[in-house]
Formats: sequence, C-alpha cells, structure tokens
Amino acid sequence: MESDSISHTSPPSASNCKDISRKKRVGTSLSCFHFHFRFLIFFIDVLFFVVDFQRSAKLKQCKLDARREQWLSQSAVKNKVCCKEGTNDGDSKQTQRGERDRSLENFEMRGTAEANGEVENVSVQHESDSESFPPNSHTSSSLLGGMDSGTSFTNSSSSSTSSGGCCSGSITEEEGGDGCLDDWEAVADALAADDDKQELDPNENNKENLCLGSTPGLEPNPQLGSNGEGSDLKNSEPECPRMVQRATGTCRAWRADDTFRPQTLPNLSKQRSFPATDRRFGQGGVSWMRNSAFSVPSSCPICYEDLDFTDSSFLPCLCGFRLCLFCHKRILEEDGRCPGCRKPYENDPVEAEASVQGGSLTTRLLARSCSMIARS
Amino acid sequence: MMIGGGRSSSSSSTATAAGGTWVSTTSVSASGKRIQREMSELNADPPPHCSAAPKGDNLFHWVATIIGPPGTPYQGGIFFLDIAFPSDYPFQPPKVVFKTRIYHCNVDAAGNLSLDILKDSWSPALTISKVLTAIRSIFSNPDPYSPLTSGVARLYLADKAKHDEIASEWTLRFAK
Repeated sequence: MESDSISHTSPPSASNCKDISRKKRVGTSLSCFHFHFRFLIFFIDVLFFVVDFQRSAKLKQCKLDARREQWLSQSAVKNKVCCKEGTNDGDSKQTQRGERDRSLENFEMRGTAEANGEVENVSVQHESDSESFPPNSHTSSSLLGGMDSGTSFTNSSSSSTSSGGCCSGSITEEEGGDGCLDDWEAVADALAADDDKQELDPNENNKENLCLGSTPGLEPNPQLGSNGEGSDLKNSEPECPRMVQRATGTCRAWRADDTFRPQTLPNLSKQRSFPATDRRFGQGGVSWMRNSAFSVPSSCPICYEDLDFTDSSFLPCLCGFRLCLFCHKRILEEDGRCPGCRKPYENDPVEAEASVQGGSLTTRLLARSCSMIARS
Repeated sequence: MMIGGGRSSSSSSTATAAGGTWVSTTSVSASGKRIQREMSELNADPPPHCSAAPKGDNLFHWVATIIGPPGTPYQGGIFFLDIAFPSDYPFQPPKVVFKTRIYHCNVDAAGNLSLDILKDSWSPALTISKVLTAIRSIFSNPDPYSPLTSGVARLYLADKAKHDEIASEWTLRFAK
C-alpha cells in the first residue's frame, strides 16, 4: 500500500526536520501562527457563510455522512499501521504531540528559511488537500473555486513577499478556496469524532491517506506549472501529512467538545450543523415526544397548572386524557373515574406510571386503586 | 383577577380556620385558579346565547344567563341561573340553580336542575361553559324520564302542545 510505505518512511524524515528545527524554534512565532490561523478560520467562516448560503444543506449532509463513514472505515483499516507507529515512538499521545510539534517546526523552519516559495508549496498542498475532499458531484464548483484560489494565490505570493508572513500567504490561499472549506471542516469533524475512539493516531494516517490521494489531484498541477516549483513540491511530498496534520490537528479551531471554538464566530450555527446532525435527530425525537404530549394539553385541564415533563409523560387512562399527578391523585381519592371518558381508572396504567415516581406515592396509589377496585 | 386573588386568599384562610388540611387549602387556591381561567375563557369565547360572570367579588359565586333557544317555548326568555362553586370545585360539580321560574320537567319549583352532568356524571374536565351549553340543550330536549316535576313531565309526554303553551306562557311571564 502506498500509504503504508509513506507512514513508515515519514517518521525518519520528520525526526530529521525535528532536529533541524528544534534550533530554530521560537515560541512567539508559534503563538503568532496560532493567532493567525484563528483569524484565518474566522475569515474562512465569513466567506463560507456568504458563498455557501444557497447550497442545499441536505445534500451536503448526505455527502458528509457518506464521507465520514468512508473515512472511519479507512481509519479502522489503518489501525494496524498506527499501532506500529505508536509502538515505535512509545506512547501514542506522545507521538501525536511530537508529530505536531515537528510539523509546526517544519512549517516555521521552511517558512523562514526558504521564504515564500516554500510557503507557497505548503499552501498548495493545503489546497490540494482540501480540493480532494469534495465528491464527484462537487468537483465542478470546487474546481472553479480552486482556479480562483490559484489566481489569487499567485497574486498573493507576490504580496506576501513584501509582507513576508507565511500566514498571509495561507490566508489568501484559504480565502480563495472557500468552496472546499466545508469539506475541510467536515474532515476535521469526522476526525474529531474519530479522535476519541482511536487515540489520535489514526487521524494522522487518515490525513496521510487523504493527502496521498490528493497530491496527484487535479488542482495542484496547474498551480505548480504557474509557480514553476514542481520539484520543491515533490521534495516536500512526504511531509505533506505533517502539514495537513498541522492544519486540521493542532490548529483545528474546535475540538470534539468545541471548547476551543471561538463562540463569537458569525456562522457558528452553520459550523455546528455538522456535528449537530446526529444530535438534532435525537432532539427531534424528544421534541416530537413533547409535542405529542403537549398537543392535547399544555396545562392540566383540571387545575390549569402547567404540566411538567413527568405529568406530560403520565398517561393514566387509555382514552388519552392527560392530567397532572396531583389531580389524578385527587380523583383517585374521591371518584376514581377518568375525567375524559368517565370510566374507572384502570389499575395497571396507574401502577406502571406511578412506579416512575417511586416510593411512597406508588404504594399509596396502588393501595388506593386496589381499594377502589375492591369497593367497586 | 384582582377580585379573584382577594377571594381565594380569604377562602383559603377560612378553610384553614375551619380546620382544613393541607390538601383542602391547596385545593381552594387551585380551584380559584381554575375558576379564574374559566372566567377568562368564557369571556374570550362565550357559548352562544349564554353568559356567566362572578356575582360581586366572590369568585365562587356566579350568575349566568341563558337566552331561550328559538324554536322552543322558552324562545326569547332570559333565564338567570345561580352558580355556586364548591371549594373543591373541579372535583365536585358546581351547584346550578334557576333563579328565573321556568316551566320545565327537569327544573323544580325551587329552580333545582336534574342534570346528570351536575350530579353523577360530573367530570372535572367539564367547565361552566359546557355546563351552560348542556343546560341550554335541555331547553330544546327535555328529559321527561328523569323528571324533577313529574306533572310537567307527564304533560310533556301526554300533550306536548299543551305543555309548550304553558311553558311559553311562563316564559312570557317570568323571563321577559
């Protein structure tokens, strides 16, 4: 397998880079990079919100789900490999951290040492990475976006020479490729979901996979031709996974629990719509249940007090007449007939429902209903 | 609302003074709330040809009027009813009494009604609005088989025209 060989060959190259870059590591530039990436993501969010406004959410969701499953299965296959990697480097989390650091250092090192050309390559890699995510139905639009990004990118490369910041280059790159960003985010989501199960390392493998799949993709080649740095790109190819890891792993704007996600982003709801799809279905079930419970009364028809959740899930009579537990108890004390159908309350539903309330009430109700039945 | 609040507090105090338990105290306030809600719903959507409102500032004591439905000997008559809510109202039926004399087999000379939903068939789910509608329906369809005034019921079964004539005469005399 291609990816296997890559994953085996990548640790030495990464460690080499680590040795080199450890000398050049600067804490401030790291934090600066983080900040820039946050800003980048914010910018992306805004653009994405504007551009993708008209896109059908359902289609997207279906696609994302399918892709997510695909990746999950891929990662399951890759589990073996990642285990090997983990054993090589000791603790898997340590490995992850090390890889991240290395990738960051790599990025910095290259950004400072080789200036813009290398940075461009890196961002091309990113682009190709994100470009590969859209499925076939998506390619036309993403290709268009990619073309746009390509032009804007070449423009920005000249501008970035003056500004000299690696982040500025990547900002324009991401900015142009906004069409693909939802997929990029979807990848992040899928991987975040994957994180918990597979101890982070499968992510790496996933990304390697993705990156490998994307490097011979459609978009980067014209890019390379325009930039004329194809050889550099080929050299940096093994480090592509690291870069992607950097993008989606270290600088991922949100984790699985979303605690690091900036809450003030304008399209937060849209962002959340991806991980929230499952949740929404769950809530839908609850709301449906609530609706069915409240469709008849929102408050007790006897005492007009609002029905709480216990009351609304309390169905004492088969006729469907709902009332609060207090009124039900009161009726059992005196009349024992359902206000809706005027039939005597059955013993069983009372028992079943009241057992939810627990303890004394259950026994009391049971005693009362038994006495009712004994009397009648 | 202001009236109801005052009344419910005073009635709850009387309930406690009369040695009422915790249940009866809460039920008084609960019935007060229920009656208030019924009052607001009745004002918002009154049943046809009926009206009801508390008499004075006693939330548990209402006066209702029913206009005799057309096509009956009670047509055009305005019949006043007195409604007394028990302190455990939704669980016990209100006591409804005709204050206007009426020639009807289900209403006795004191104005008491023999209406099943006001006795055994009472349900806490029933409201005054439904009770008034039911009372109005016995104007059109008397039940001579469970009469309060057996003479009127016998006449209704034997000679309905004579019965209707007397009823319309009573309506003209007492209800207009």
